[in-house]
This record gives sequence, C-alpha cells and structure tokens, in this order.
Amino acid sequence: MEERQYDLIFICRPDTPEADVDKVIATLEHAAAEKGGKIEAVNKWGRRRMAYRVQKLREGYYVYLVVKSSHGEVVKELERRLKVSDAVMKYLTVRLDEELKRQEKLKRHRERRAARRPRKAATATPAPTPGSGEQAAAQA
Amino acid sequence: MADENVPVQAPPSAPSGPSGPGGGPRPQGRAGGPAKRGKRSFVRKKKVCRFCVDKADFIDYKKAEILAPFIQERGKILPRRMTGTCARHQRWLTVAIKRAQNIALLPFAAEL
Repeated sequence: MEERQYDLIFICRPDTPEADVDKVIATLEHAAAEKGGKIEAVNKWGRRRMAYRVQKLREGYYVYLVVKSSHGEVVKELERRLKVSDAVMKYLTVRLDEELKRQEKLKRHRERRAARRPRKAATATPAPTPGSGEQAAAQA
Repeated sequence: MADENVPVQAPPSAPSGPSGPGGGPRPQGRAGGPAKRGKRSFVRKKKVCRFCVDKADFIDYKKAEILAPFIQERGKILPRRMTGTCARHQRWLTVAIKRAQNIALLPFAAEL
C-alpha cells in the first residue's frame, strides 16, 4: 500500500512544563516507529489562545506533527497514546496525502497551461488586432 | 435566448433570400435592445473569488487568519453569495473551517 501522510495536532494543558511536552512527543515517535510509521516533522507552535474553552481553559500548548505511514494502525496507536496522556487536552488527525496529490495535479495542470499560452499568443499576432491588444494589456 | 438567435441566423439568409433587405434591419435593432436593458438594470460590482485570485490549489486549515474572514461573528460559515467565493473553493473552504473548529483554531459558536 502506498504511503499516507497525516497531520497530527495535539493541544497540551498550558501549565505543562516543556519537558513533559517533549516526553509526549518522544513517546509518540517511539510508538510510530514501533508500528512501522515515521514522524517526519515536529513543530511546536507553543502556547496560544484557543477559539473556545476546553476543559475550562482558554489557552493551550499546540504541537503539530507530520506523520507518514503505510497503514492506519499507526494512527490508531498514536491516538490511543494521546487519549491516555494526562497532559493532552485535545488532538486531531487529518489525512492529507490525497489533498496534496490533488494540489500537485492542479499545479502541474496550471503550469502546463501557462506554458502553452505564450505560444498561442505568438500565433495570434498576425490575426485580429483586438485579441492581441487584450493580451498586451494583460501582460502589462 | 430567442432574441439572440435571430441576428445570428439573419446574415446567411440576407444575400440569398428576397426578404433579406426587408428583414435585415429589424433583427439588428432587436439585438441592441436586450443588451441595453441588461446594462441599465444590473449595475453591480462583481465579487471575485479570493482564492481564485491567489490561484489557491489548497486551503490550509491550520491558517486560521486566512479562514477568519469567511465566518460570521457568531461563528457561522458565510455563504457564497456573501463572499463571492467560487463553488470549488467554497467546498474546500468549508472543509478547512470545520477542521479548524475541531482543533480550537476557530470557534463553533461565539462565547458570550
């Protein structure tokens, strides 16, 4: 099976010491490796205000991870660990590989179209003036 | 639709048929009418999809500041007719907003 990419965000209680957050990340990395997945990136957003109260708290310590794995067991295990952990208030896993694929496709499509357009403009120059005038205006 | 079709059909028939010279001027006059009427009644600034302007292929749910203009004060997602977002981008946008709500980047409903 092809490799899937996930975004995993979790929010720790704002009073958690930095060391505990690192510990949570370390256990996740370990768990992912055990199940055959991989944590590609760790990005600590730090304390930020949440849009609504969670567990009667207004702030949270956000951590953003990029997880790659080829089967869903990894996500299951990571979410189980997050649920068990006392410091973690909230977490969200989003599968992103299909959206990234679509993004790539659209990007390639547009690049190809952009590459084709100048040639069309070059062939159109001997033809009617209003068309070329518009193109000149668009370029300017 | 019917009014637009008449002038298109008129030019080929004009040189061949005897009724050409008589029928010619009338379709032209009719074609001018609806266009003028349309201009007069609809003077409205056209809203453009912001994501199309930026040529966005992907709307990131993590960037709450991008999504914020598309929700109401109370947290509702604004409809397309308000923001001018195109159908495709609105579809992506709603998904992004809902994801952001789940991780407390955006509110479900404003707190009082």
